[in-house]
Amino acid sequence: MHPLRRALSQRPLVLALTRRELSARYRGGALGFLWSLVNPLLLLLVYATVFRLVFTPRADVRPYALFLFSGVLVWGFVSAALHDAVETFRANGPLLRKTTVAPEVFPAACVGARLAHLLLALPVLAGAIGWAAVRGSVRPGPAMLAFPLVLVLLALTVFGLALAVSALAVHFGDVRDIVANLLTLAFFLTPVLYPMSSVPERFRPWLRANPFATFFSGVHDTLFFFRPIPANDWAWMGGTAAVCLVAGAAIFERLRDTLAEEA
Amino acid sequence: MSAANAVSVRDVAKVYRRYGRRPHGTLKSAFLSRSSGAEGGVTALDGVSFEVPAGETLGVIGANGSGKSTLLKLLAGIVRPTRGTVEVRGRLAALLELGAGFHPELSGRENVEITGLLLGLTKKEIAARFEKIVRFAGVEEFLDAPVKTYSSGMAVRLGFAIAAHSDPDVLLVDEVLAVGDEAFSHRALEKFSEFERAGRTLVFVSHDLALVAERCRRAIWLDGGRLRADGPATETVHRYRERVAADEGRRRLDDGRAGSRIGSGEATIESVRLLDASGKAAGGLRAGEPASLEMTVRAAAPLSDFVFGFRISTVAGVMVFGTNTALEGLRPERFEGEGRVTLAIPALDLATGVYSVDAAVHAKNGAPYDARADVLRFEVSSDRAGAGLWGPPRRWEFTGGIHWGAGPPPAK
Repeated sequence: MHPLRRALSQRPLVLALTRRELSARYRGGALGFLWSLVNPLLLLLVYATVFRLVFTPRADVRPYALFLFSGVLVWGFVSAALHDAVETFRANGPLLRKTTVAPEVFPAACVGARLAHLLLALPVLAGAIGWAAVRGSVRPGPAMLAFPLVLVLLALTVFGLALAVSALAVHFGDVRDIVANLLTLAFFLTPVLYPMSSVPERFRPWLRANPFATFFSGVHDTLFFFRPIPANDWAWMGGTAAVCLVAGAAIFERLRDTLAEEA
Repeated sequence: MSAANAVSVRDVAKVYRRYGRRPHGTLKSAFLSRSSGAEGGVTALDGVSFEVPAGETLGVIGANGSGKSTLLKLLAGIVRPTRGTVEVRGRLAALLELGAGFHPELSGRENVEITGLLLGLTKKEIAARFEKIVRFAGVEEFLDAPVKTYSSGMAVRLGFAIAAHSDPDVLLVDEVLAVGDEAFSHRALEKFSEFERAGRTLVFVSHDLALVAERCRRAIWLDGGRLRADGPATETVHRYRERVAADEGRRRLDDGRAGSRIGSGEATIESVRLLDASGKAAGGLRAGEPASLEMTVRAAAPLSDFVFGFRISTVAGVMVFGTNTALEGLRPERFEGEGRVTLAIPALDLATGVYSVDAAVHAKNGAPYDARADVLRFEVSSDRAGAGLWGPPRRWEFTGGIHWGAGPPPAK
């Protein structure tokens, strides 16, 4: 059985663990869940200020703060979910060693919790788009409706990668540093701060070797340019998700039996 | 596996591999090596087979590191056997560590739900049992407080309550009773009795031998990952205890450690040895062979009142044999300087086991010059089994219509 199916068959547990992640994180703070709104709001404020007063962005990505906002939010999900996945078996060691839990629920809950954070921040993004639309600087269109599908494919990709890194991190201490550095590198090799169109034509195939690149191009297409995603990009995203799920599952399955012994 | 068996373990071995910690362990070697894991692995269990009929309570005993916890993890399906098969029939709950799933920041209520889900209950089942769980744990007033504010006893009770109410067909319990107070242990044991009456199967790991002997009809003893005994609990516990005593005795011999010593010092015991048939000092003997107990003694000043004595006891302190020169009618005249006292026994007809020797030199009225308790230990071994302390030469004789099957003859 694929770890994804096993995680889905344990849905109530994955959801409970996801909720645990979320509510444990905000427990004890006066603002609680509001913090997941405060962070992106603050981020938006900083971008809006810096890029209006300090840098002058290219004409095709104005308002640049709005352009940045969607990409940075989604990147935050990718990066945090993978960071969490690296730590999850260590953090849940007692559960893994002492209960009969299916280990895939932990990476699943990591992705789930970070996805929930992203969803909680989406109203702020929607507000920002609305504000920009009212001021006439963007013209939202029905292409936005494709965003959820981009997010689903991205989440599957991240889950596949999370399976691999979570299991590998149990055995190899280096994995944490490798993942942290690769993510830093990937942030700049992914069209988050810039649009795909600003990358010289001949480099784009190379950029696409980075599994996240096309997804962020898709995020910009749907949430900033409000234009349909090219069929080619859809195929690329679907293929990436499939490859990551298969490869991640293969690695996870290979190490699955040893997780409870080593974590 | 026959239908009546709730648990069936067949020729199971478990070798823990060490990928990352192996010298030169790399990602590549981890994925490419198809080795059995024999190199660099730690063998926790080897060739273990047993079955537990449904409704039985099985005790598992053994020293630390003997593989008990690994066995429970295999039964629970947390780790998989390197070799052999493990089958468990029915819903299983493992009490390997109470409250293992608790998140300290979350409330008792939230933790009950997550732990229940971890144990395989549905949300509906958890809701239906919630009241009972909370009442059993006695944490009603603290349900909405974070678990980090619970006393350790409360957390343990709550953890136990959830598992105990998960209605398992097979319950695995690993030494969890040791953590609670008396009242909790009592209630937990009551809950176990309830399980038994309901025809559930219990596998019970404990260092509390008396408890195992009392609660379990049957017990197995793991020693260094192997099954050393499987039988009625009282018998298994007895054999294990003997073994522990024997090991302790051997350790003493190795350490050269000796027991207490009292006396006025007018005469002193310089050394005590056990000699075998060839006259060499020995730590172990075969039953029925000749043996001598020997002590070298020294008198500080010439003495006219002196008695030499030996006593042989089990390590548990039961005297097997004791004698002294006064009891045997020897009348002291003079003891000066050094001497050697030997008690020769033509045939040491002791049962297998470890024995302890006391040696003394004292006055006729019993006042010790030098009395050394537990001054040496020795082990008696034999090819022939038998219970008790005495291992006399013996043979069986039969007449009439009594016949014996093939195999070793019942009598030598």
